[in-house]
Amino acid sequence: MHKGLWLKGWLITALLSFSVPSALAHNVVGGVYAIGNQIEGEVGFSNGDMAAEGTQITVTDRQGNTLGLVATDSEGLFVFTAAQRIDHQFFANLSSGHVLEMLLPADELPDDLPGGDALPSEAKRAISTPLAYSGDQMALQQMIEKAVAKQVKPLRKEIAEYKEKASLQDIIGGIGYIFGLCGIGIWWRQRQLEKQQSSIAKQGQG
Amino acid sequence: MHIVDGALAVPVLAVGAALTVAGVALGLKRMDYDHLPQVGVLSAAFFIASYIHLPIGFSSVHLILNGLIGLALGWAAFPALLVALFLQAVFFGFGGFLVLGVNAVNIALPAVMVYYLCAHGISSSSPRVAAIWGAIGGAGSIVLTTIMVAFSLMLSGEAFLLAAKATFVAHIPVMIVEGGVTAAAVLLLRKVKPEFLHIKDETDYA
Repeated sequence: MHKGLWLKGWLITALLSFSVPSALAHNVVGGVYAIGNQIEGEVGFSNGDMAAEGTQITVTDRQGNTLGLVATDSEGLFVFTAAQRIDHQFFANLSSGHVLEMLLPADELPDDLPGGDALPSEAKRAISTPLAYSGDQMALQQMIEKAVAKQVKPLRKEIAEYKEKASLQDIIGGIGYIFGLCGIGIWWRQRQLEKQQSSIAKQGQG
Repeated sequence: MHIVDGALAVPVLAVGAALTVAGVALGLKRMDYDHLPQVGVLSAAFFIASYIHLPIGFSSVHLILNGLIGLALGWAAFPALLVALFLQAVFFGFGGFLVLGVNAVNIALPAVMVYYLCAHGISSSSPRVAAIWGAIGGAGSIVLTTIMVAFSLMLSGEAFLLAAKATFVAHIPVMIVEGGVTAAAVLLLRKVKPEFLHIKDETDYA
C-alpha cells in the first residue's frame, strides 16, 4: 500500500514542479507568408507552445548574406519587410538543438520590388514609399492580398498541425518494423544454430 | 532530446555516427540472442514513448525510458535505440537522418552507463534499495542525456552552460517522472520477471 502512495507522491511532485516552459522533444514548426512586401511568419513547437518572446530570427538570402534580424513577439510571430524580390531564408534557434529553417520564394513577393541584383539605394526607396499610397489600384491590390492572407491563415495553421500529426498507421507501422526486424534476427539466429547442429551431426557420421 | 538536422556541425555529426556504429557493433556482439524479443519490445516501447505526450500544467512531457532500457539491455540498448530513433525520424519526423548518430549516442550511451552504475543496486535484496537505484537509473540517464545534448551543441558553437541550463531545466519534470516510472518498473519486474533485469537469484527477495 505505501508503495502505491509513494508512487503517487512522485507523480504529484512531477505535476507541481512543472512550471518551466518546455522545449522537449517536440518538433519545431513554423511558416512564412508574404502580405505585400511584408513577410509574416511564426515559430513554435508542434505541441502548440509558441517560441519564447524575443527569439532571434536571422533573415538571409540564398547565398547566406544576412538581410536582417527580427525578433518574435509574445505569440511567436514576426514581421520582416522585404526590400528585394529574392528568396528569403529564415533561421530560428529555439535552444536545445531545436532549429528551424523556412524559405519564402521570390515569386510570392510583389513584382514591383527590385530584383536580386538591385542596388541597395533602390531597395531603400522601395521601403520609404509604401505601396498603399502609390495609386488606387495598388491600394486595392494590397487590400485584397491582406484579406486573402487573413482568411488563409487559419488554414495554413491547420495544415501545418495536420502534417505534424502522426496517424495510428504510423505508430502501428513503426512497431511492425521493429517486430519484423526481431523476426529476421530470430530467423537468422535459428539458421546459424541449425547449420552448426547439422555440421556436428555430419562430423559424427563421418 | 532529439536534436534536429541543421543544428550541429559536420565533425560532431561524424563523431556521433562513428560512436554509434561502434556502440551498435558492440551491442550486437554482446547481445544474448535468446533475448531478442525483449530487445524488440523495449525498442518498440521507446519508439512509442516519445510520441505519447502526457499533458502536465501548461505543457506536456513524454517519457524517454533510456534508463529502463539500459538496465534491461546493457550494450544491446545501442541497436534497440538506433532502430527506434530511425523509425521515429521516418514516421514522426523527430530529429533527422543526419543527426541520427549523435542522437543515438546521446540517448544510448547514458543507458549503458546506467546499466553499469545501477545493475548491482537493483538486484539488492531489499526492494526499497532496489527501487531507489531504479529511480537513480531512470533520472540519472536523463541527466546524462541532457549533458550530452548540451555538449553536442557546445561542440557546434553554442555556449555550453547556456545550452546545458536550458535543456536541464526543461527536463527536470521528465527526470522526476522517469525516476518514478523506472523505480516502479524495477519493483514490478523483480517480482514477475527477474531475468528481464538479469537478476539470477530469485530466492533472494522472495
